[in-house]
Amino acid sequence: MRASYVIRPGAAQPAAAPPQAAFSSFEKFFRAHYPAVVRIAASVVGDSQAAQDVAQDVFIAALRRFPDPDQCGHAAGWVRAAAAHTGLNAIRAERRRDRRQQLSGVAAAPLSPEETVLDSESRTEVRQALGRLPRRSAAVLVLRHSGLSYAEVAEAMNVKVGHVGTMLRRAESALRKELQR
Amino acid sequence: MSHVSSPVLRRLHDEPRAVPDSAQAHLAGCSRCQARHTTIRLDARMAARLLTAPGVTADPDLAWERLQARLRGPRPGAAAARVARPRRMTRLSLGTGTLVTAGVVLAGAGAAAALSTVYTPTHVAPVPVSRGDLRALSSITQVGLGQLGGGLPPSGVRQLPFGTLSWTSAGPAETVTSLAQARAQTHLPVTGPASLPSGVGPVPRVMVQPKLTVTIRFSRDAGGAVGGSTLVVSAGPGVVAQYGSSSGGSRLTTLVIAAVQRPVATSTGATARQLEAFLLSRPGLPSSLAQEIRMLGTTALPVPVPPGMTSRHVTVGGSPAVLLTGSAVATGVAWEDSHGVVHGVGGLLNQTDILHVARQIG
Repeated sequence: MRASYVIRPGAAQPAAAPPQAAFSSFEKFFRAHYPAVVRIAASVVGDSQAAQDVAQDVFIAALRRFPDPDQCGHAAGWVRAAAAHTGLNAIRAERRRDRRQQLSGVAAAPLSPEETVLDSESRTEVRQALGRLPRRSAAVLVLRHSGLSYAEVAEAMNVKVGHVGTMLRRAESALRKELQR
Repeated sequence: MSHVSSPVLRRLHDEPRAVPDSAQAHLAGCSRCQARHTTIRLDARMAARLLTAPGVTADPDLAWERLQARLRGPRPGAAAARVARPRRMTRLSLGTGTLVTAGVVLAGAGAAAALSTVYTPTHVAPVPVSRGDLRALSSITQVGLGQLGGGLPPSGVRQLPFGTLSWTSAGPAETVTSLAQARAQTHLPVTGPASLPSGVGPVPRVMVQPKLTVTIRFSRDAGGAVGGSTLVVSAGPGVVAQYGSSSGGSRLTTLVIAAVQRPVATSTGATARQLEAFLLSRPGLPSSLAQEIRMLGTTALPVPVPPGMTSRHVTVGGSPAVLLTGSAVATGVAWEDSHGVVHGVGGLLNQTDILHVARQIG
C-alpha cells in the first residue's frame, strides 16, 4: 500500500510527546534530516520561511507517525517525500487563491524588487507549472533536484530505483511543455 | 543492440556509472540516440536550474526549539482536536465553583471519616479514583457524575438512603475584571505568574466563587450515634483564573489557576470514629477507596487522581504538593499553603511549565 504524505500546511496537529527515550531518538532524527527537508520544501515553495514552516508541519506529522524513528526503516524517505508533497499542496493552494482573486477582480499584491528580479527567472511560473503537473511527477522532480540520489528518491517515492529515471524523464519533459504553453 | 531507452539516457546524465557499458557504447555510435540524449540533457539542466532551492538558512537548534514549543503549546489548528479536554477542565473549574464543590464533596467523605467535631486539613494527599469509585460516590451522594464535575446549581437538596444532603452557596459565582478585584472580594492571596509559558495568552478570565456549605443531616434510622447528627463541610471562597491561548484567543483554555479557602468540617453528635465507620461502610463504596481514605489520616485533604493519571510528591513554596501527570497534554499540581489556602494549577502544559507557574505563585 502506498504511504500517504498529504499534510496541509499549518494543519499538522501537535503530536503527543513520546516517551523520553523515543523523544531523544526523534530529536536525533530531526537534527539529521531537518536541513534536507527544508531544502526540498524550499525548492517547491521558493521561500526560506515558508519552507521552514512546511518542515515544521512535516516533522510534527512524522512524530505522530514515527515516535521512534530508529524503529522504522523508511522514516527518512517519508519526511523527504512529505516535504515535497506538503510544499506542492502549499503552491496549489496559492494557485487557487490567485484564481479566486482574479475572478473577484482583486489585484494581486505587487512584487517586491527582489521578487521582480527573481521573476525574470520565472520562479513564479515554475512554481505554477509544478503545481499543474501530476503530483508524483512534481514530487520526483523536487526530490531529485534538491540533491537526493536515485536510490534516495526511490525510497522516498516507494518505487524501484530503475523506475526513477522513467519518472524523472517524463516529469522533466512535462515541465518543459508546461513552461512553453 | 536496440536503441537506449529514455530513462537510461536520463540516468546517464546524473549517474553515468550506473549505466551499463553496452548502452554507452551504443550511444557513441547512434545519432538518433544522441539527439534524444541531447534533448533529455537539456530538459534535465533546465529543471535543475529552475528548481534549485533559494538560499535557505536551516538552523536545526532553533527549529527544534520551535517544534518543542509547538508540541507544548496549542495552535489554532489544534483547537478542534483539543476542544473536548479544555471544556472538561472548564466544567471542573467553573460552573458553581467546581473546585470548591469537588473538593467539598470528595474531601467531605474523607474528612467526615476522620474527624470528631472539627476537620482542618493541613496538606494535600493523592487518592487514586477509578471510574468505578466515581460512579459509587455518585450513587451514594445521589449527585450525577456530570454534576460532580461542575454542573451543580448554587443550592440544592438530595435525599440519601441515610439522610439528607444539601448545599448552598453564599452567592452566585461571578466573573470579575481582574485578579486584583478577586483578591479584594475574597481576601485570598491569588496572583498570576510573572512569566507565562509559551502558548498561554496574557489576560486571564477571572471568576469568584463565594463560600459553599455542604450539610448532611443523618436520619434517625441511620442508627447509633450518627443517627440524628449533622455534618457540615464548608469551603471557600475561591478564585479561578482561566488563561486562553496566545494564538487561539480566549476560547481555548490552556492554563487554569485556582485558589480556595480549605474545607472545614464540623459535626454534632458523632465522633470521628463513628462517622468514619458509618460513611465508609455504605453499600457500594469500593473497599479500596475506603481503605485509601482511612489511610489519609486526620489532616490530609484528598486530591483525586483520575484514571490514566499518576501522582508525584513535589514541593511548592515550601509546602508539600501533589503533581498529577500521565496525560500528554494536561497536567496539574495542588498544594495547601501555610495560611490554609488550597491552590491548584492545571493546563495543557508539560509538568515543567506547570511547576514553573506554580512556583511563581506559591
